Amino acid sequence: MKRLMNIEPSRFWRTFLTIVPFIVIIALYWSASDARLAENPNDKLLPSFTQISSAIDRMAFTENKRTGEYLFWQDSAASLYRILLGITISAAIGLIIGLINGLLPGVRAGLSPLVTIASLVPPMAILPILFITFGLDELAKVMLIIIGTAPVIIRDMQSQVMQIPKEQLIKAQTLGASTWLVTIRVVLPQIMPKLLAAVRLSLGAAWLFLIAAEAIAAQEGLGYRIFLVRRYMAMDVILPYVAWITVLAFAMDFSLKKMSQVCFPWYHHQEASK
Amino acid sequence: MMNVIKIVTLTLALLTSANAFAKDKFSICWSIYVGWMPWEYGDSSGIIKKWADKYDIEIDVVQINDYVESINQYTAGQFDGCSMTNMDALTIPAASGVDSTALIVGDFSNGNDGVVLKGKKSLKDIKNQKVNLVELSVSHYLLARGLESVGLSERNVKVVNTSDADLVAAYSTSGVTSVVTWNPLLSEITSQPKSYKVFDSSDIPGEIIDLMVVNTKTLKNNPKFGKALVGAWYEIMSTMSNKKVLTHMAEASATDLAGYQAQLDTTKMFYSAADAVSFTQSAALPKTMKYVAKFSFDHGILGDGAVDENFIGIETPEGVVGDKSNIKLRFNPSFMQMAADGKL
Amino acid sequence: MSFLQINNVWKSYGQAQILERLNLSIDQGEFISMVGASGCGKSTLLKMILGSEVATKGEISLEGKPLVAEPDAERGIVFQKYSVFPHMTVLQNVMVADEFTKSFLLGRCFGSARKQVKQKAESFIDAVGLTPAINKYPHQLSGGMQQRLAIAQALMKAPKILLLDEPFGALDPGIRADMHVLIRDIWKKNNLTIFMVTHDIKEGFELGSRVWVFDKVRHDPQAPMAYGAQVTYDLKLDTDKTPDIAALTQKIAVN
Repeated sequence: MKRLMNIEPSRFWRTFLTIVPFIVIIALYWSASDARLAENPNDKLLPSFTQISSAIDRMAFTENKRTGEYLFWQDSAASLYRILLGITISAAIGLIIGLINGLLPGVRAGLSPLVTIASLVPPMAILPILFITFGLDELAKVMLIIIGTAPVIIRDMQSQVMQIPKEQLIKAQTLGASTWLVTIRVVLPQIMPKLLAAVRLSLGAAWLFLIAAEAIAAQEGLGYRIFLVRRYMAMDVILPYVAWITVLAFAMDFSLKKMSQVCFPWYHHQEASK
Repeated sequence: MMNVIKIVTLTLALLTSANAFAKDKFSICWSIYVGWMPWEYGDSSGIIKKWADKYDIEIDVVQINDYVESINQYTAGQFDGCSMTNMDALTIPAASGVDSTALIVGDFSNGNDGVVLKGKKSLKDIKNQKVNLVELSVSHYLLARGLESVGLSERNVKVVNTSDADLVAAYSTSGVTSVVTWNPLLSEITSQPKSYKVFDSSDIPGEIIDLMVVNTKTLKNNPKFGKALVGAWYEIMSTMSNKKVLTHMAEASATDLAGYQAQLDTTKMFYSAADAVSFTQSAALPKTMKYVAKFSFDHGILGDGAVDENFIGIETPEGVVGDKSNIKLRFNPSFMQMAADGKL
Repeated sequence: MSFLQINNVWKSYGQAQILERLNLSIDQGEFISMVGASGCGKSTLLKMILGSEVATKGEISLEGKPLVAEPDAERGIVFQKYSVFPHMTVLQNVMVADEFTKSFLLGRCFGSARKQVKQKAESFIDAVGLTPAINKYPHQLSGGMQQRLAIAQALMKAPKILLLDEPFGALDPGIRADMHVLIRDIWKKNNLTIFMVTHDIKEGFELGSRVWVFDKVRHDPQAPMAYGAQVTYDLKLDTDKTPDIAALTQKIAVN
């Protein structure tokens, strides 16, 4: 018998082991829901799959009778717009400031401590200041995402730039490159895959801040709906919304990963051969 | 295999939901609000324990920081009773099929909830404004009633769901021009310059009612639980003229005596059980509950099964509102009557 | 006037004196091997010639003018590691050397300019024997091939001075021998002035036309950092004659 640490499951077993926990969770949910509904058919805490699917149908495929809109898609569009805009701006800020900070000692001396401190301030604790500065509308929601994620990306980009071997930067200079050309031809392409990785890691925080922003003040959005229907404990709506957020988050993560592999094959091969 | 899972989860479900059968340990939850601070005092002064001892039971009093969460916990079966308003009692536990009884009618809001406009003095000016409030809460109901009173409807305004924790900060931003909220946030907002309270709950007296709601089945199987709670409540009420008691409640709600007094002034407390009983027995109560049911149905919060506003039956001494065969919310003054008669 | 003049150069980091009283002059076309114990300051002198370090005292001048105090295209460099760009193919790595100076805004050439650069790059790639790997990325190359690439890059700029910082230190012996042939060939063909730091004395004598041995002359046992190293041996070799390395090594070791 091999040691436990040396036993690799076959392809079949690997798939099987991946699926099993999900099946167990669904089965546990199903039977617990069943038990509660047997006691009280109107129980809302653990709705049955039929109730959930009718809630999905009502939210996603039926016009809302008051507004004539498809709430689910409207919420998704609003949230996706906010998170994509927020994370894109965050990534841009993180890249530019991180690059400058990492490459120019003069700027780093002035900005780096500020960024470090800013990244440690919990944005949720200074909400009133954010409201007064950015209002309560779309801008505020996007800003909350940016404030929550940009400092971390800046710090990561800065350290990634500083980890590029000095030899390369000197080499580029001996080939006649200016600071600008070193930046765009040597440093930028090398930290782009790192930027995508940093963005992937900050997606969790971005969703958290998005949902918090939508809970604070909103008229639409996935977080808005969850917090609104929570008021009458409509778990049949909340559960599919949570699942949908997970799907969206996974899709965003997956597409960033694919994008990185397609755009920067040299990076992924290099990482794989390390 | 399936059976094993079923048994395991059923046991878990039973263990976690409060048992409705005869028992001697109960728990209630409450959240911070002027009319519910007496529960805190009753707990810390030992009055509740005294009454529980008298009926030979145990009552656990738990404060929950989030109001909606406290109702959800009660609805899910974690607690036997919970403090809430008449509207939330209808739309959360009753709409979730949890048969609930308003054991104690504690007070009604008499100016504690209000509509505030920035720079405008008449409710009619709210037309075409964005209104920040906690959607589907009593604030929303108050707004709907207010709009109705000046011939407007919700179509004339744009409601923005705003968390109560952030309303005061939100109000200080230039984009926010009108809010609907409750005390102490309300007095905080109206104290800011150029802020005018254009409509408040004293314009619809007796429609926003604060209750102690308990599980009907639990109450039926354990009248001792109801007796102990009601007995304790009116003993606490009898101490409310005492400055020391009020100061204690004020501090527990993070304000001072003056601030707490100001909130009490806009709250019609039923200090005597007899007053509460006559309020419950009045013909105005079913009328109010009809309004509330209609508002709730119009906003889609009576549950998916609701075909009209009469879907859920609400029992009051003056008659049933809605479907008599689906009574899920009951105003039952009998325990308060016992207190009024000194029979506890 | 000599090609490169080192005038009373001192270098220290804080309390630690690294080099002292260096006075050397170099003619164009010399191949100088710098050898000595690790930490003796041979790399520091190389970096000062490169421009990435500045002398604490004294001056280095190139063709009568003081050296520019930062790296530039006059001085090419091959480090032991990391001196090629991992995100570019072999061809791009070499082409970029000319693109840096031909396109100030984008660092990229297009059209006929690109064609020209490409042709030039291909000839240097051929010269170092990398043509079969022209479209590969550095991580797909062996250590020796990566060093060949770094040399090709440097040659693109036709530098006045080529600096080699332990260029073959990480290579297998067989590959190292091939590299020796290559660098010797390039040195002769391009009439380059080369400075090479190596810890392999044999290599130093084999390749160099002149060998500098670095060592501390003065020693204070109480304060080992107080004195810096100097060039204790400055040996000019007749490159056409195979030097008696064993004898020379012996001679250095005795001291």
